[in-house]
Amino acid sequence: MGRYFSNIVQSISTIWTGMNITLKHLFTPSITLQYPEERWEMPERARNQLFNDIDDCIGCDQCARACPVDCIYIETEKVGEDIDLGLTSKGTKKRLKVLRFDIDMSLCCYCGLCTYPCPTECLIMTPHYEASVYDRTDLLYKYAKPWEYDDLESADASKDTDKEAATAG
Amino acid sequence: MADTDTQQVDRPEGAIPDANVTVDRPGYPDEVALEGDDNIESELMTLNMGPQHPSTHGVLRLELKTDGEIIEHVRPHIGYLHRCFEKHAESLSYPQVIPFTDRMDYLAAMNNNLAYCLAVERLLEIEIPERVEYVRVIICELNRLASHLVSFGTYGMDIGAFTPFLFAFREREDIFDLFEMTCGARMLYNYIWVGGVSHDFPPGFVEKCTAFLDKFEGKINDYNNLLSYNKIFIERTANIGVLPVDKAYSYNLTGPNLRGSGVKWDLRRDDPYSIYDRFEFDIPVGSGEMGQLGDCWDRYMVRIREMGESVRIIRQALEQMPDGDVHKAVPRNVRPPKDAECYTRSETPRGEMGIYVISDGSNVPYRVKVKSPCFTAISAMNFLTRGHYVADIIAVIGSIDIVLGEVDR
Repeated sequence: MGRYFSNIVQSISTIWTGMNITLKHLFTPSITLQYPEERWEMPERARNQLFNDIDDCIGCDQCARACPVDCIYIETEKVGEDIDLGLTSKGTKKRLKVLRFDIDMSLCCYCGLCTYPCPTECLIMTPHYEASVYDRTDLLYKYAKPWEYDDLESADASKDTDKEAATAG
Repeated sequence: MADTDTQQVDRPEGAIPDANVTVDRPGYPDEVALEGDDNIESELMTLNMGPQHPSTHGVLRLELKTDGEIIEHVRPHIGYLHRCFEKHAESLSYPQVIPFTDRMDYLAAMNNNLAYCLAVERLLEIEIPERVEYVRVIICELNRLASHLVSFGTYGMDIGAFTPFLFAFREREDIFDLFEMTCGARMLYNYIWVGGVSHDFPPGFVEKCTAFLDKFEGKINDYNNLLSYNKIFIERTANIGVLPVDKAYSYNLTGPNLRGSGVKWDLRRDDPYSIYDRFEFDIPVGSGEMGQLGDCWDRYMVRIREMGESVRIIRQALEQMPDGDVHKAVPRNVRPPKDAECYTRSETPRGEMGIYVISDGSNVPYRVKVKSPCFTAISAMNFLTRGHYVADIIAVIGSIDIVLGEVDR
């Protein structure tokens, strides 16, 4: 009988102690943010959406080899010695045409291993995190711009025909 | 055999239950055997709990054989989260395995990274810079805090207290902010590399971390007042799932589950890896304060007290941390010598994680085997719950603190 009442007393007193702690939080500022209106400031190193700056990419395939889930697909093509693809912003000479540079973000595990070996630092993980889409196929990000090479080729080809015409003439 | 000395713990005023109360628990099978009429046929009922159940902490399925409300047998069915980690690791290069170790015990990914990297580093026989060792200890202890916070918060929620969960996740958020500013990820870090870490601490980390620790130390007392010494919580957890020392040994339990049974065994002290021998910290053990030694409350309380010890370790490490380059010892190609093999173990928040790696001289491991602390802990489920009520299963699962990602791997 005594234990019955002491149990009740202890229950009430310990719940009172706990409730006091909760009560204190009525007077402390809220730590939540109203998300779509307010946003957290992402730290510089935040590792979210992958981004490839294709203008700097030399198609070296090191990122695809480092990827543990094989979500980077790269197709390249060698160009002849006479064709100049230009330089990257760091001054590395581009030797390969990057015909395909696709990243399947639905497979990506956000480990960041692809970004470390990149010699031109063109593949980075950005702090951008709102990347949801309605269709899964939209998660395949295509960075390559193969049509740019078409112009180049035709320009080169026209140059060649000009030369040929000149030599013939 | 480790020493089994218990430690003196001061309890708060007012919330002291009778330590030696014998609680009426129907034991099985002697006491609940049906009496009287032999013509009544009774059979055990099979009840499936999980895999979709909020209190099984993931996708654990328990097959219960119940006699009314009383458990006669529990059989855990595992494998719902099996991702072939060990087989998969055989086709990945050594650094590529690290993101997959994150996903084993996703609540303490840093500790998993460390366990794997320690093994590979021992194969390679590389010297780790001082700075890296300190960075690793700090980050791993922070992750231990985060992991124990989840354990504490969800345990309260399983038992029926929702507030501690919110408290715990608030503090965990601060730890994740620290991780995010350090390595960019919040849960699955790929931070600890073979021979180093991916990033050094950013400027302002030490101040932010110290500020967090100052804030956090006071919170532990709040947790105790909210949950640990709450009478209802004690009634639900004391004398439930009692694990005697000899059974704890025979089930090969490690970590807080073993310490809850009163065994002072912690790899950080007894087989120090990294630089844990440089720090001063206690090893909290269960003492049967609220009921019997090794009950759910003891296992729960070991985790709460370990948080305080982790804070102590982090403080010491932050003070002693030297300067240096964290990438100095990172090898360009991880290629351990041919036919090298090693087994290393380290103390993750859930117990002793062992990693066994065999190398065949290439850049891909020949075999990676993980000895998971949760997997061994779950084997004790049947012993712990037998004779208790169905509702007490929840208390037992929460108290052994399993992560199914690690059980199934």
